[in-house]
Amino acid sequence: MKDLASINLDKMTTAEFEEYLPELFEASGGSISADPRFANFFREHANCAALVRDLETIAEQAKSLFEPMGDPSDAVWSNIASKLKDQNASNDEER
Amino acid sequence: MQTEPNPGLFKRNAPIAGEADAIERAKKGDPDAFARLYALHKRRVYTLCLRMLGNVSEAEDMTQEAFLHLFRKLDSFRGESAFSTWLHRLTVNLVLMHLRKKGLQLVSLEETINPSEEDAPKRDFGSRDTLLSGSVDRVTLERAVAMLPPGYRMVFVLHDVEGFEHNEIATMLECSTGNSKSQLHKARLRLRELLRDPQNLQPENRLMEASR
Repeated sequence: MKDLASINLDKMTTAEFEEYLPELFEASGGSISADPRFANFFREHANCAALVRDLETIAEQAKSLFEPMGDPSDAVWSNIASKLKDQNASNDEER
Repeated sequence: MQTEPNPGLFKRNAPIAGEADAIERAKKGDPDAFARLYALHKRRVYTLCLRMLGNVSEAEDMTQEAFLHLFRKLDSFRGESAFSTWLHRLTVNLVLMHLRKKGLQLVSLEETINPSEEDAPKRDFGSRDTLLSGSVDRVTLERAVAMLPPGYRMVFVLHDVEGFEHNEIATMLECSTGNSKSQLHKARLRLRELLRDPQNLQPENRLMEASR
């Protein structure tokens, strides 16, 4: 993995940027577009800036998916309760 | 042993009112307390299973397995992380074990989580005129995530949705942290492709993607 500290952020090429991007995202805590160290690069490479903003939007919006989508059917708890009952009965017998 | 979670060790999984008491009582065998834990966590566990498996029936089976497993393992919860984080990790491990049993055991997950070239995101930075900002809502993103190849979807859900760190994901998926980062990046690129063209999210395309 490339040492990010050794990268000249103003002079990196698009290909280099693409190569470093997963690591840059991780190192920046997911907020590259607001990082002033990239301001010059993004001024020169508008498509890279657009890519980063899109990926940040996706990562940010993903947090909203943490909220649950729906409930499992009632049968799930019925099965669990039934199995736990059987297990407890079997444990009692062993005692 | 009292199980007070360390608030510094979790982010979005804040403790729920009454949860600590229910955990302690359930550890002592109180069935009502275990039912309470199920009621508190069933939706998130089910949602996690559904996102990872993409199938309601399997997601329900795995939700059942996760809570049965929880019942057996509850004594080992020591409160070193939030209970929900611990439960979700337990669930993820069960789902992964299930997937391996279904056919991933012959090759390492490191290889299998790499989709084919056909599924890989294109190396296209695209135009700056089509920014996603403001156009991605929860429902649209949910649809796009469901269309990701399983390996991409797994890492994206674990990292960006569930909030696991790359080192945790690497341990769970038995891959390197570098691989986890790379898969996440490819997943986001693939999502960008899907989201930039709403046509991609039409039902007929979703079926084609899912069948790959």
